[in-house]
Amino acid sequence: MSKDQCLISINGFNSTIENLSSFISITKAEDFITNKVLDIEIDKSENAQRINLTLNSSSTDLIDFEINLTLNEGAILEFVDESNYSNNSNIRLITQLHKNSCFELYKLNSYNNENTNKFYHNCSLLENSTFKDYSFSNGSKENFSKTIINLDDVNSRYLGSGVSINNSTNSDTEIEIRHNTKSASSDCYFKTVAKGSSKVNFDGTIFVDNYCSKTISNQVSKGLLIGKESKINLVPKLEIYNDDVECSHGAASGQPDKNTLFYLTSRGISKEEAEQIYVEGFLSEFFETIDNASMAEKAKNFINLNT
Amino acid sequence: MLEIKKLNVSVEENKILNDLTLSIKTGEVHAIMGPNGSGKSTIAHTLAGNPNYRVESGSISFNGSDLLDMEPTERSLDGLFLAFQYPIEIPGVTNASYLRQILNSHRKHQGKDPIDAAEFLKLLKEKSAYLKIPMEMHSRFVNTGFSGGEKKKNEVLQMDLLDPKLIIMDETDSGLDVDALKVTADAVNQMKSKNRSLIIVTHYLRLLEYIKPDFVHIFQNGKIIESGDSSLASRIDKEGYE
Repeated sequence: MSKDQCLISINGFNSTIENLSSFISITKAEDFITNKVLDIEIDKSENAQRINLTLNSSSTDLIDFEINLTLNEGAILEFVDESNYSNNSNIRLITQLHKNSCFELYKLNSYNNENTNKFYHNCSLLENSTFKDYSFSNGSKENFSKTIINLDDVNSRYLGSGVSINNSTNSDTEIEIRHNTKSASSDCYFKTVAKGSSKVNFDGTIFVDNYCSKTISNQVSKGLLIGKESKINLVPKLEIYNDDVECSHGAASGQPDKNTLFYLTSRGISKEEAEQIYVEGFLSEFFETIDNASMAEKAKNFINLNT
Repeated sequence: MLEIKKLNVSVEENKILNDLTLSIKTGEVHAIMGPNGSGKSTIAHTLAGNPNYRVESGSISFNGSDLLDMEPTERSLDGLFLAFQYPIEIPGVTNASYLRQILNSHRKHQGKDPIDAAEFLKLLKEKSAYLKIPMEMHSRFVNTGFSGGEKKKNEVLQMDLLDPKLIIMDETDSGLDVDALKVTADAVNQMKSKNRSLIIVTHYLRLLEYIKPDFVHIFQNGKIIESGDSSLASRIDKEGYE
């Protein structure tokens, strides 16, 4: 563990927090299990600070907590959650990004097909701050994820990439990007693979207020239907009240291209392997969006393991 | 090796092949020529098991097995290879990993261990050098952004890696410049053997000047209207199909 790191480990009713960084302040840690709230503040530093969240529990209890995260001016933070969730969960993250701060959130999570998992994130961005939001999820009987992004000050920037892999499981992803200032930008990419009898919903809203000129915002959502009984519902929404903006959205879903599958099988690959190669190709563009090489590799491994 | 008897094939509602009968022995090279829409590509894709082509009646025997009972995967693993006229692009999958995967599928079928990364790289370098394929091409996604020539060379490379018993080349010469055509034809000639048969589907004489066929068949309206030796291709090139 380096001096830039903090490990938060939650194991059933116990939690341990190891913090070696002088730039990461955690309050309410001692009452965490009772209050289920952690307040974390990140100060400006030369190198990126890192928080690793690990959830480990063999019990079936609900994992339920809230993290209030503040990045002070100029702070840089990588927040990584690579947990395999074996419980029901209800996690809330409230984030405030101050001027010139940069927050990278990596969630690479496998869920148990029997559980319900909820994740709620509300993030406010101030001047010239950046939030890079990468989420890869697999499984969960019912997976609800809601993200609200408030771009509250000029030149704030949101880059969101989400992958949801479902094998006869259900997921609901909702993202609302609110441009509350001029000259802010957002890019949101969501891809999902629905196998078996999965049902996947994606609801993406871009809201641009009437005084928010020079807004740049793009949203793309794509779904791949592998199972005959699987369903994907992609709902892109634009609410734009200013003319001086560049906004786009696109949504598409369908089954794997039959000609591609034939090409692959004509080379001796089984139908199942051909579908897997197709899925990997479909999802691979996400690795390109991750600047951090080691996290890109982890995302790649996550997808290879779960497709 | 291959016995096609009274084969009738439709695409959507259009009947393309009409009672086609053709016999190919091991080690023979057959060329199929014919005007557009005569059924040349249809026979190529039907042999490979493309589900877009519906066999209405007839039979195809491949080394004693009923080919029509076999899935495309099985046909490939049993030694049939179709080089596509329009190779399919697969974004997100690097050519190197794809090539290794198809090779390992065949190795598994043959009861061999998967080829390890170092050994595969050595093999790929050797085969690519022969076809004048830059190694850089293998780090790109399969056929994505490849030139016409690169796509066709990639097909021949796969053919070489998989070492098939029956090769069907569907207009491999289209999109190739003179130099690329020669390199490709040289590679195919190297693969000719008494244990392997070739079906070359083409519009033009130029490929057949490099790869000499034993038999040339002229297709029209989904059937063979004339067969002969390689001189038939020269005559068609001079006189046309009319």
